[in-house]
Amino acid sequence: METPRPTSQSDFLVNKKRIRVLGLSLDDATKFFFGGNAVVSIIVLALITYFLFQEGIGFFGQNHRNLLTYRQAGLEYVDFIRTQESGHIALTRYLSDLRLRQYNYYVAEQKMSPAAANQALVKFDDFAAQYGDAVEPIRGMVSDLTEQATAIKTKFLIAEDKKTERQQLLVAGKINEAAAVKIESVDFAAELHILTGVLPVYKQTSAEFAKKLDASLAVAPRLTTPELMARLDRFNQLTHDYLATFPATTRSLETWDYTRPVPWYQAISAFLFGREWLTASFWQDWYGIVPLLMGSVMVSFVALVIAVPLGVGAAIYINQIASSREQRIIKPSIEFISAFPSVVLGFFGIAVLGQSLRWLSQQTWLAWVPGFPFSERLNILTAGCLLALIAVPTIFTLAEDALQNVPKAFKEASFALGATRLQTIIKIVVPASLSGIISAVLLGLGRVIGETMVVLLCAGNRIAIPDFTAGLAVVTQPVHTMTGIIAQEMGEVVRGSIHYRALFVVGIVLFFLSLGINFIAQKIVRKYRISIG
Amino acid sequence: MDIKPSFTSPTSGRSIPVTPSPVGSTLIDIDHVDFFYGASQALHDINLKIEEKKVTAFIGPSGCGKSTLLRCLNRMNDLIDGTRVANGQIKIRGIDIYDPSVDVIELRKRVGMVFQKSNPFPKSIYENITYGLRLQGRSNKSDLDAVVEKSLRGAALWDEVKDRLHSSGLGLSGGQQQRLCIARAIAVEPEVILMDEPCSALDPIATVKVEELIQELRTKFTIVIVTHNMQQAARCSDKTAFFYMGKLIEFADTRAIFMNPANAQTEAYVSGRFG
Repeated sequence: METPRPTSQSDFLVNKKRIRVLGLSLDDATKFFFGGNAVVSIIVLALITYFLFQEGIGFFGQNHRNLLTYRQAGLEYVDFIRTQESGHIALTRYLSDLRLRQYNYYVAEQKMSPAAANQALVKFDDFAAQYGDAVEPIRGMVSDLTEQATAIKTKFLIAEDKKTERQQLLVAGKINEAAAVKIESVDFAAELHILTGVLPVYKQTSAEFAKKLDASLAVAPRLTTPELMARLDRFNQLTHDYLATFPATTRSLETWDYTRPVPWYQAISAFLFGREWLTASFWQDWYGIVPLLMGSVMVSFVALVIAVPLGVGAAIYINQIASSREQRIIKPSIEFISAFPSVVLGFFGIAVLGQSLRWLSQQTWLAWVPGFPFSERLNILTAGCLLALIAVPTIFTLAEDALQNVPKAFKEASFALGATRLQTIIKIVVPASLSGIISAVLLGLGRVIGETMVVLLCAGNRIAIPDFTAGLAVVTQPVHTMTGIIAQEMGEVVRGSIHYRALFVVGIVLFFLSLGINFIAQKIVRKYRISIG
Repeated sequence: MDIKPSFTSPTSGRSIPVTPSPVGSTLIDIDHVDFFYGASQALHDINLKIEEKKVTAFIGPSGCGKSTLLRCLNRMNDLIDGTRVANGQIKIRGIDIYDPSVDVIELRKRVGMVFQKSNPFPKSIYENITYGLRLQGRSNKSDLDAVVEKSLRGAALWDEVKDRLHSSGLGLSGGQQQRLCIARAIAVEPEVILMDEPCSALDPIATVKVEELIQELRTKFTIVIVTHNMQQAARCSDKTAFFYMGKLIEFADTRAIFMNPANAQTEAYVSGRFG
């Protein structure tokens, strides 16, 4: 820029000693330095998001192939019959539970000796054995078919591997080597003929099985109490329901066709609504997020149930009631909790909390608590308690901020009208800061749902959907979580495999969950921020 | 529901019946009061008798202790850590309000307060006015409706807000908000209303309205008003107390303070030579 020539009068305004760094004035350098920092963080964020999606998105294609193989290799066909078999297993379990109840009744109520009780149950045992053995032909059939289907699948997978190998050699320009790779293509129609050929045999076996079950029900002995008889009736009903599913199974087998395409959306729905996360299985891998999602949700829910009253209550105390001396002691103490590395909290959870909770649950005077006693040291409750500890500082600090923002004038006006401290807190202070408190809770939730180390160490790591029929006792069951599974399995998977990509998709779900929670929290704060007139 | 006949705790048993006394008899007796914020003394040996159904103005330069004394009268200073009345007594109808047996909640129902900055709750106009009544457990709808109308009429606000009783109190103008706060204070039927510079944040027109309101309220309530505005003190008060450096310099009829002050400092202040 052309600057006017300084005359002798205006000379004093011209900066004679301008510092220049790399040709930039000091102001510009400052601007670039701080602006650069902001840009770097945004670029890193974008890179992480891109990487997540780039690695994860391939999962759905692979999962589609996975499901397709499941069908083409006949695994699906075998699983129809396997489902029938496992239905029977569940029923025999019911039966052994019934026997235990009857046994307990004999021993506890009728004061029989164990030997006498077993003697009295001989007829029942005969019945149970007859009922249980009825499935044997079906079971044999399933195990034969399993072997055959596995063989087809293995053959197919080897062929796929060879194809990949040849492709790689071709890309590398080694045409001769590529030609040498022998690919044994799989003729599904011929291979599956062995499987589908058993259908007539199955029909006969199934009919006999049904007949045997029916016959065994007829010889069921009477049980001694009305309550047990009601259970036996229920068992009869369950068996009849079970038998009623046989025609459907047969129909599925008859209409099954390995060429039927797997719709593309099933690759997504099998992930989002899949109830099984089963990897490295000899049979079929399933990547369903539901058990992991439920685990994360349950653990976070328990954590919030504990952390919200503690965090908000402490914030109200500090902000409204405590003397300044108490504030100086309590506030840093609570914030200090977040200084614990979560792995330390984790082994505290294993060594102390889990142990103590189990010990507590086994005290007879606490037997009335739902879920007590429990034997799993590591479960939802243990992990939830520790996560609560992690959420408390977040909730406390943010809720305290929200309370602090309530104008003192509201409080004074309330007191001047003759309100007690409790009335002022409940009717004025908390409602006026409610949006801040809610967002504090949501941010605490975001903190908890992303926490990894504690749940990995303390949640029990059993991949199963918690059994909600247990009522409140559900919190004493072990679960696995989304964060935990990533931390646990990511180190062992082959890069680029379906399992590897499945873990990335779990990461994406987690990312969106956290993003959503934070977004809602900020939205609430902005929308309901009280205007202070 | 009538005003409870005492402000001692119902559980403490000590209860002194309130008998209406003639205009001009002493309602609040401030007797040799020293007051401290921690180690620093804010009030020195204050002696003052506030008369019933009159408007008493506290004037003086900033930091002279007039607001502190006002907030002693309903024990709002209790909310600040480390404050105490070291010597002397403040008696309302002969009862020492700093006596341990006194129920502060009951005291504050009897001695209402309007603040410098209007502070309606972030609730509806209706909820603002019924807040004090609901605290006392009154929830009868028609009863509350009646009180809301009466209080808003009393605060000369009824005609302006009667159609939007259920919209937020924060939506009113500054002057309306301050009158809403006055309505809220008179809804619980106090005997005394303390006003801490009620017009300092208002424009001249809103100020005039509040001053007119004070003239109406004086027939029913004993009013103590702190003000920086000497014309305001001259216009609306019966008695004026001039404070300086935590001491009561002069207390007399308003006319006397402004026309013929006995003390040289008072004279200097009211004539605008310092402060």
